[in-house]
Amino acid sequence: MERNQMHRQIANTRKLMFDQGYLDEQFIQLEELQDGSNPNFVEEVVTLYYRDSARFLSNLDQALEKRPLDFSKLDNLMHQFKGSSTSIGAKKVKTECTHFRNYCNARNAEGCKRTFQNVKKEYTTLRKKLEAYFQMSRQVGPVETAYASSVVVCTIRYDTIHSLHLNIIHSNLPLRRCAARSH
Amino acid sequence: MTVEEFGGSVGVSNEIDRFPIGMRVLAVDDDPTCLKLLDCLLRKCQYQVTTTNQARTALNMLRENRNRFDLVISDVHMPDMDGFKLLELVGLEMDLPVIMLSGNSDPKLVMKGITHGACDYLVKPVRLEELRNIWQHVIRRKVESKSQSKSNNNQEKPNHEGGQEAGSGDPNGKVNRKRKDEDFEDFEDNGNEDDDPSTQKKPRVVWSIDLHRKFVAAVNQLGIEKAVPKRILDLMNVEGLTRENVASHLQKYRLYLKRISQQANMVVAFGGSKDVSSYMRMSSLGGLGDFHSLSGSGRLPNAQLSSYSSSGMLGRLNSATGMTLHSLTAPTLIQPTHTQNLTGSVSSLNKFQPVVLPTPPNHQPTNLFQGIPTSFDLGQLQQNNKPNTQLPDFNTIDESRFFNSSSTFPTLGSQSCLNLVSSSSTFLDVPHPMGDNFHDQLPPHSSLNYGHASSNNTITNTMTGFGSSITSTLSVPLEGQSQSQRHVQYGKQSYGQYSSNTFSALAAAASPPNGGGLGGPVSQSNDQICGVYNRSNGNGPLPMQMNKQTHKSNTKLKMGSGENYLPSGYDSLDDLMNGMMKREQDPMIVMDGEFGFDPYSFGSCI
Repeated sequence: MERNQMHRQIANTRKLMFDQGYLDEQFIQLEELQDGSNPNFVEEVVTLYYRDSARFLSNLDQALEKRPLDFSKLDNLMHQFKGSSTSIGAKKVKTECTHFRNYCNARNAEGCKRTFQNVKKEYTTLRKKLEAYFQMSRQVGPVETAYASSVVVCTIRYDTIHSLHLNIIHSNLPLRRCAARSH
Repeated sequence: MTVEEFGGSVGVSNEIDRFPIGMRVLAVDDDPTCLKLLDCLLRKCQYQVTTTNQARTALNMLRENRNRFDLVISDVHMPDMDGFKLLELVGLEMDLPVIMLSGNSDPKLVMKGITHGACDYLVKPVRLEELRNIWQHVIRRKVESKSQSKSNNNQEKPNHEGGQEAGSGDPNGKVNRKRKDEDFEDFEDNGNEDDDPSTQKKPRVVWSIDLHRKFVAAVNQLGIEKAVPKRILDLMNVEGLTRENVASHLQKYRLYLKRISQQANMVVAFGGSKDVSSYMRMSSLGGLGDFHSLSGSGRLPNAQLSSYSSSGMLGRLNSATGMTLHSLTAPTLIQPTHTQNLTGSVSSLNKFQPVVLPTPPNHQPTNLFQGIPTSFDLGQLQQNNKPNTQLPDFNTIDESRFFNSSSTFPTLGSQSCLNLVSSSSTFLDVPHPMGDNFHDQLPPHSSLNYGHASSNNTITNTMTGFGSSITSTLSVPLEGQSQSQRHVQYGKQSYGQYSSNTFSALAAAASPPNGGGLGGPVSQSNDQICGVYNRSNGNGPLPMQMNKQTHKSNTKLKMGSGENYLPSGYDSLDDLMNGMMKREQDPMIVMDGEFGFDPYSFGSCI
């Protein structure tokens, strides 16, 4: 029961991230890629993302300190950062990046700086949430995590046939278990 | 087509049955997160994946073994090389299907991908379903090449054994696609079996520099409009080469020229003049494009490079070639004496067919051009220009010579060459950076009409063709010894000398006050040159007019005074040159689409 509780907790945390708009479909894609041969794929990718994107953020910080602002450079940096963020499904971060780029194109320095603060905020928030999520998942074990994810997906996305279908197809978990738990 | 079709009756191997499983994909993306994701997605599709985050590494891998991969997926936005350039290079050299990947779905970029030859354009984040279908591009290419061969054959000999053509077309198509893995071979075999049981699989034709040079010479001789594969084949007189091989190569060449001419046209706006046409020719050098890309990796000694103002010209061999072309066109180049000299020295360079562009006044830099082998277009250039006695000579120019001339070319060429060489080593012989000799030889006023500080446009014009990569190099006015005779001597100079000269020249150029002036124009010319490289379709005179400015013949690169400029890094030049020599494929490096006068900073070039 302890385990079930953990599972449920993990599932809920995850669901919350989706519901609150921190993560989007792309994150599910990542989860689907996780399987027996790649048990920690999602966590690996996310860790890689955070490590790599820290560099972009510091570059952006520096670039924003300069006077006058080099908008094309900022745009370039942000484009790359946005690309990474999109790849892991960081929805809010991506949105803020888009705002930033809009301000860049409009050459609005104030707007850029303001949105950049938002970007950083969302970035950090998501990071904390994901770290907590992964930590919990690790406690129940990698396979279980996948299981929990798929269960959660099955339950949560029950109404979305497509997702459900996908999940079942791609998940390595035994179908019957999944099905049994899915409702 | 289903897997079963592939299986066929002949020697079906397991792999065939399994295609597209096991398809070998090369994925290039500087973003590690995206790359990892892409890697995983592709593995999920059961492809064999190789990843790299450096475009240059990817190019090297591809060059070292063309048959190692079936498909390339590349990001657009990369720091070391523009994705579109990589795309062009891969398409030209290896004729592999390339899929572009970007976070940006801007239609302009998609269009750019199309014009550069991408077979697909995916927007990040990429979905698994999209990747499951990419194998179609591999198959399509095979099928198309087969039918191309067929149609080429039919074109040439309408009444001829049409059937046979078809039959032989298949094998040719097949030949060109021979792969190490059995999948396609078997497939092709099967196809051939049906069409022409007697056909045998022929080894894939590798268009080495030498071969390409011959091809270009033949095309030039015939005239681009009249160049038909059969006659080209006869002129080339190469054993084992079939008309189909020539035909498909010709088609690519034409596309390349067309692209160059389009770019040149853009440049034309700037300064149409006959100079421009000469530039265009230069651009046809195709190879430049290659250089261009090559330059990316090969950096000239930093000191020098920086002096060059970055326009990227340095990096670009093309620019060098462009320059030379430019100079070639200069009337001076055309001078028989020059020609002779040039020819003597440039035996193999040929690629640069003395682009002797319509003699821009004082364009001395013909030499330069010679130096720059690589492009297909040399031949093309010829066409447009004047009588090409000179051109043929150029063909003979060996690459080293080529460099020499390029060295005359304001260090641009050399620099770019150097850079290219060092970095890519595969690239055609990088125009040998002007060696010491060169240095002396650079006719102050003659051949090196590179972007004189006085902003001779000529150089810039040519440069622009290059797409700005060269600009930086051009700017360095090669002081000195510019006499046309110098050029002649170039050929004799040892390679190393040139390189050192080039650098020195470049360095020297960089410093001299007027260098600055040159830099500007040079960059422009680089762009032009680059543009020139783009293949111009047999349209008459290459849109040299693109070069915005008129070539001023004066732009000469002033090579630094005869001192031995050879900077320490010159050994690399030799390597570069060697590397370039090794380039197999004709360097039809397509200059980056941004022809314009996009000043490429040197840094960016690299």
